Amino acid sequence: MVLTLLGAGLIGAVIGLIVLRGGFYNIAATQQHYPLIYTVFEEGLQYSVQNHARDIQVPEGLGAPAQLLRGAAVYKANCIQCHGGPGVAPLTQGMSMQPVPGPLVDADVNWETRELYWITRNGIKMSGMPAWEYHLSDNDIWAVVAFVSAMPNMTQKDFRRMTSTEAAAATVTQGEAP
Amino acid sequence: MTAARIPAMMALAMLVAACGPTRPAPGIQGDPERGKIALTQYACHSCHAVPTIAGSKVFVGRPLDDMAERRYIAGKVPNTQANLVRWIMDPQAIDPGNAMPAMGVSERDAIDISAYLLSQ
Repeated sequence: MVLTLLGAGLIGAVIGLIVLRGGFYNIAATQQHYPLIYTVFEEGLQYSVQNHARDIQVPEGLGAPAQLLRGAAVYKANCIQCHGGPGVAPLTQGMSMQPVPGPLVDADVNWETRELYWITRNGIKMSGMPAWEYHLSDNDIWAVVAFVSAMPNMTQKDFRRMTSTEAAAATVTQGEAP
Repeated sequence: MTAARIPAMMALAMLVAACGPTRPAPGIQGDPERGKIALTQYACHSCHAVPTIAGSKVFVGRPLDDMAERRYIAGKVPNTQANLVRWIMDPQAIDPGNAMPAMGVSERDAIDISAYLLSQ
């Protein structure tokens, strides 16, 4: 019994090594994952974020108008390139990534607010999602989380207005929202 | 045993990868197989659930599993291949204010994507 198990393990390891060293796995980004592999990764992602974000406290009064405007400016500067927005396409870099960054208008279906903050701050390994902790202030991370949380209620017009250059310029003169 | 298993596994993998239409349905122009890949390169599956393409559960665009049966596109124009190609290339031209952005799809790619969607 033990020998059989060991033998099976050894055969498995040899096959694994052959596939790995033979270069048979197609690493091309045009080749989609097999659905099962994708689902396993995504489930793991969900549980990991849930676990790591569990102690984060969402600041009170998140989503005040000034903060939303600041969040829109941050979104335009750093997020829209890959995620796009209502009626706004991402850049080609964001479109053809694997895994695809995807829209954020339904982010609140999959994630709690504290989880959105954690993902924005820490990024997601091997997905192309960068960590913003060292590149954005904490206020700006919360502002963009507030903006993303407000996106489901925006029409294409609202979104374009909030991410317009004039709206962004107005925010800069106001400084950082609390 | 080992030698026999590798080709068997590779055959299985190729079978799974080859899911989805490979030839256009009658009366449909374009290359569905190429369209399936093109579809992922314009991130269609980031907003739309598409059968045979692995992806997250998304709730933004409508699922695209029954496009051959659909009568209208966005409730605006009849679902012909020509209209579907127009829609994929520039949704705003058919339905201003629609949340689906123009993704910069070329005509050739739009024809192949529509061939894939209409041949399922």
